[in-house]
Amino acid sequence: MFGQVLISGLMTGGVYALISMGLTLIFGVTRLVNFAHGELVMLSMFAGYLLSTIFGIDPYVGVIPVALGAFLVGVLLERGIIHPMLNASHAAQIFVTMGLSITLMNLALIVWGTDYRSVRTVYDGMVVYLGPWALGVPRIVTFVVAVLMMVGLLLFLSRTLLGKAITAVSQDRMAAQLMGIDIYKMYTIAFAIGVMFVGVAGCLLTPTYATFPMVGQYFGLTSYVVVVLGGMGNVVGALFGGLLIGVVESLSGYFIAPALKEAIYFVIFVVVLVIRPSGLFGIVGAEEMGIK
Amino acid sequence: MKRSLSDNSGWRWVTCHSSLCWSLAGIMAIALLPKMITIPYYLHVLILVMLYGGLASAWNLMGGYTGLLSLGHAAFFGLGAYSSTLLYLRLGVSPWAGMAAGAIVAAVAGVITCYPSLRLKGPFFALASLAFAEVLRIISVFWVDLTAGSNGLTIRYRPGFEYMMWPGKEMWVYLLLAYLLLVVGTVWKFQRSKLGFYAVALREDDGAARMLGIDTTKVKLYVTMASASFTAIGGSLYAQYMSYIDPYAVFDPAQSVQFALIGICGGMGTVFGPVFGAFIMVPLSEFLQGTLGGSVRGLNMTAYGIMLMVVVMTLPQGVYPALMERYRQWRNARAKAAAAALAKEGQVDVA
Repeated sequence: MFGQVLISGLMTGGVYALISMGLTLIFGVTRLVNFAHGELVMLSMFAGYLLSTIFGIDPYVGVIPVALGAFLVGVLLERGIIHPMLNASHAAQIFVTMGLSITLMNLALIVWGTDYRSVRTVYDGMVVYLGPWALGVPRIVTFVVAVLMMVGLLLFLSRTLLGKAITAVSQDRMAAQLMGIDIYKMYTIAFAIGVMFVGVAGCLLTPTYATFPMVGQYFGLTSYVVVVLGGMGNVVGALFGGLLIGVVESLSGYFIAPALKEAIYFVIFVVVLVIRPSGLFGIVGAEEMGIK
Repeated sequence: MKRSLSDNSGWRWVTCHSSLCWSLAGIMAIALLPKMITIPYYLHVLILVMLYGGLASAWNLMGGYTGLLSLGHAAFFGLGAYSSTLLYLRLGVSPWAGMAAGAIVAAVAGVITCYPSLRLKGPFFALASLAFAEVLRIISVFWVDLTAGSNGLTIRYRPGFEYMMWPGKEMWVYLLLAYLLLVVGTVWKFQRSKLGFYAVALREDDGAARMLGIDTTKVKLYVTMASASFTAIGGSLYAQYMSYIDPYAVFDPAQSVQFALIGICGGMGTVFGPVFGAFIMVPLSEFLQGTLGGSVRGLNMTAYGIMLMVVVMTLPQGVYPALMERYRQWRNARAKAAAAALAKEGQVDVA
């Protein structure tokens, strides 16, 4: 049983990792915590849901248009809201994204109401047996996609010129600017890529999770925990942080009490922040010098 | 004819102490309001304004003056509300004593949470405090034997001073006015004290403040304890006033956001900013809830969210400092004009 709990935790962790990678990329480059992240997940889930109910597009196919749409939304959000706030105080940055989060969640409430919606697919009840363990097909898909997206992102950041420019900006804004990189363009691109990851994640979630306007709060809070755990701005850290939180959640849900699983990972979160504020994979001291 | 500048010294005293006079006038106006307003709903809004004004001012001690952007003040608020309510319901302790106990509990909780997260800055501190409040909320839902979980606790109506319950709302106005004055008075004293200057110094530059010999850890702890206690007192008052609490109402992250929001929109790091913010934001949200909330679900909060973004993006330092700046400019311009007029008059006299 332990193995089953562990492996289903890992699969859930894949979902968290996918959501958190977008957040960590945005933070690493713009140095801004996007408090509306969960609401972007929620909107992507609605996009996936609408595509499948109105046009009959399977969520796994709908990922592509949703990801493209999310990229565009990311560009618009960065240009409209994030860009003017880049040099504002922490408080202003936190509260602009908070205001965005309140606005988006309640807009969704107006448009779609509080009902829980779910997408029915042929594969959502399918189970694959891996030795003694049973695995749901949608969870395997999200897990595999999370790993592939991470590898893709790492390759993009390390191999392409654009990716290298983004990495340079995340390491040192001023030095990057002196090398002739248009840092504001990089902010926009990084933000849009982050939102695109959220789009992919949200769309892949629709077969397994119910879609409703408040769902974003849960995923948002979880992704902050994951990102801090893995080290703010660290993509590999986000993957391992996500898996770790998934495992912790499923173990504590099974062995302690399902109602307390969030409390337990929040406690872990605070302990990590206190002992190693740079996260498990971050560079020590980054949380103090990186953010000014 | 030359006008003497010294013959209206009484008026000059008033202009020199204008903020004091404004405050006195404001206090008197609020004290008289329950005599004039007969519609209980307006008094209810006034009570909420003063409650949230006090809570935002308490938040301002940490967030505004010390730069510790807490998004977890619901933790202290909830601890205050649950301390006084549980002591009263389970042990029959008067809510007044329960309120004091809640303040102490919150101060201890403040030290426990703040001490380990002192190294964290800006958004990191905000996230840690958010997580802390969430943990308390989950525990309060889970620990049904103590807190009755999501069912919440109801305080039976039993009028009397020792039970902190009165028929009607008039006494509540006075009590909340006293609370508001207590918190704002403390903030006013604080920003003129050594501790206040230390806090502002470490907000601006932690390292430099330490270099100058300020024990920043101690300053942060003191400020956190004060802020937590005042928030807890507000929580006890809220519980008594509403006579019902549940984990989703008092430990809600939206409460934390509300305290911080009022402080930020009003003006962080100013004495009167948060009070001003409460006088704008609370009636506004009540009004939106009243006019838009009934028709379409979520419409009022959408308007609220949009307004929040607009205020933060256009007036990042807050409404109160912006208005004060306008007022100062207007006064200077007027003084200049008056001086010019006087000078002209003098010339005419000489001629």
